[in-house]
Amino acid sequence: MPLAITATPPISLASLQHDFDVFSWQSFVALNWPANADGTPNNQLVIGQSPNAPVVWQSWKESRDIFLPGGARPPAWNQTNPVPDVCKTIDPTIIPPGTIHLTQVGKTPNVLDESGEPFQTGPLIDQNGQYTRYEILTNEAMFNYILDNNLYSKSGQKTFGKDANFPASDSASGRVGAIMLKAAWVRMTGKFNPSRYHTTYALVYNNPEEQNGVKPACSLERVGLVGFHIAHKTKDEPQWIWSTFEHVANAPTKGEPRSLPAYNFFNPACTECKVNEPPPRPWNPAHPYTAPTQVERIIPITNDTKKLNQLYHAALAKAVPGSVWLNYELVSTQWPTNAKSPTDPTGAPAPAFLANTTLETYIQGDVRQTSSSCMACHNNATATNGLFSDFTYLLQRAQ
Amino acid sequence: MSDNSIEKNMDNFIGLSAVLTGFSTEIIAPGLDVVDIKSEYLPFFTKTVTEESGDANLVNNILQEFASLKNSGLSDQQIGEAMLSLSNGDQFVLACRKLIFMWYSGAWPTIIPATEDKPASTVSNLISAKSYTAGLAWQVMQSHPMGDSNYRYGYWATPPPHSVPTQVKEHNDEKSSEL
Repeated sequence: MPLAITATPPISLASLQHDFDVFSWQSFVALNWPANADGTPNNQLVIGQSPNAPVVWQSWKESRDIFLPGGARPPAWNQTNPVPDVCKTIDPTIIPPGTIHLTQVGKTPNVLDESGEPFQTGPLIDQNGQYTRYEILTNEAMFNYILDNNLYSKSGQKTFGKDANFPASDSASGRVGAIMLKAAWVRMTGKFNPSRYHTTYALVYNNPEEQNGVKPACSLERVGLVGFHIAHKTKDEPQWIWSTFEHVANAPTKGEPRSLPAYNFFNPACTECKVNEPPPRPWNPAHPYTAPTQVERIIPITNDTKKLNQLYHAALAKAVPGSVWLNYELVSTQWPTNAKSPTDPTGAPAPAFLANTTLETYIQGDVRQTSSSCMACHNNATATNGLFSDFTYLLQRAQ
Repeated sequence: MSDNSIEKNMDNFIGLSAVLTGFSTEIIAPGLDVVDIKSEYLPFFTKTVTEESGDANLVNNILQEFASLKNSGLSDQQIGEAMLSLSNGDQFVLACRKLIFMWYSGAWPTIIPATEDKPASTVSNLISAKSYTAGLAWQVMQSHPMGDSNYRYGYWATPPPHSVPTQVKEHNDEKSSEL
C-alpha cells in the first residue's frame, strides 16, 4: 500500500495530478489483491488470479460492524459481527460455492444495508431496474482509533470532547494511517454478465431505517462491483487523498462519443429519458422493478488519466490475461494543493470537483458548494458532539 | 502577441498586483493555482480599461512602467507609491486603483459621472462566479462570501490559525511556558 506520493520533477499542477493518480492506482492494486484467510495479501497470487475470491479490503470493517445499536462496543478487529436477525433465516445450504471463500477469510458475507446516495439525493437504479447497494468500510488503523477513543458511541464521543484526528500514513516510519472505502454494487442478474465484474456473495438487507415504508428483508445475492472510493489520510495530506474508480461500462460521458453498446446505468435507446434524475418517491429497494436511472458523466476523465488507465490495464493484462480488473478505471484523484493554507481548511483541492457516477450521481458538476467535491463536502463532517470529525461522516452513525 | 510577450505581460500583471495589494505573488498566483483567477483578471482588466479610457496603449503602459520600476531596484513600497503618483495621469492612476479594487473584491467599479440631478457615484459589478469567492478581502478577514465557505461550522468561535506571525507566536509560547 503506498503511504505517500512520489513527486516527479519538474513539479506542476499537472505533474502532481499524475503522481496522485499513480498513487490511486497503486492503492487500487494493493486493495484488490487476493487475500489470505486472515485478510492479509496473498503473495502466492497476483491481482486478477483467483477471480471473485475475496480481496484485501473485503475483510475490513463495515460501518454497521462499528456503530452498533445502543452504542455497544464493537468486537475487536479480527472478530466478526452477527448479521441482522432477518438474515439469519437464510438456509446456509443454499449458499452458492463462491461463498466458501468468504468463509475462508473468517468473515460472514458482507451485509449491504444502504441503498441511497449522500444527502438523500436518491437511489441509483441499474439497467435491470434494481437498486444499487452501498457499503462503507474502514481499515484497521481507522477502526482502532474509533475503538480506542470510544468514538463508536454518542456517549463516548461526548466524553472525548475534542476534534477527531485519525492517524496519518507516514512513509518514513512505515505507519499505515486511516483509510476508508465506499463500494457500490449491483445485483448480477438480467443484462449483466458476471465475468465482467468483480463479484461476491452478499447479504442484501432492506434496512427499514433508510426510508419510511421499507420492511426488513434479507436475501443472499451475487453482486458485482461498479463503484469504489478510497480515502487515505497521509502525513502531507491531512485533508486525505480521495481516489475514485468505476466500472468502465457505468455510463457514457456527456459530449463524448459513446464507446459501448450497453451500459450499467444508461440506455442508448432511450431518447426521452431524463439524465441524472433520481427516481420518483417513495423509494423502496424492495420494489421488484424501478425504472432505470439514465446516467451520464458530467466531468470527463482527463486525457492524462485515460493514458494512465491504459498503462495500468496493460500491466494488469500482462499479469493475468483477461483480468476482471481491466473493467475498472480511475476517474480521478482529489488532493490538497496547499494543505497548510491558513485561510482554506480544505487545502485548495485539485481537481476542484470530483464525482463517481455510482456514488454522487445527482450532484455531478462544477458549481461550488453544490456539486460533488470530496474534500469540500467532508470538511463539514462532524461527530454527534458537533465537533470536527476529520473528514468522515461515519462518526455521525454512533448511537 | 507572441507567447513570450503574453507570459511577460502576465508576469508584470502578477508583480504589479502583488505590489498594489500588499499580498505576495505566491498568494496572487500560487505555483499550484487551481483557481487561476489571474487568467481571468488580466484579459478582463485589459479589455475594460481600454474601453473605459479609450486608450489602447494604457494597460501596456502601466505594465511597462511597473517593469521599469522593478528593474530599477526600488522597494515594493516605492514602486507602489510611484505607480499611484498623480504625475502618471488620471486614467493611469484610476486603472491602478481599480486593479486593487478588483483583487480585493472580485468586482469591477464603474464611475457614473455627476448629472444635474445627482452627484457622481460608483457601482461595482461582480466579474464572474469565480471572482465572487476569490476576493482577497475574504482572506484578510479569514471570512467568506455569503453562501460559500470552506471554513468549518462555528469556526468564528475559535482562534484563527496563524493569526499572528509565526515568530511572534513562538516567542509568546515560550513566554507562556516560562510563566
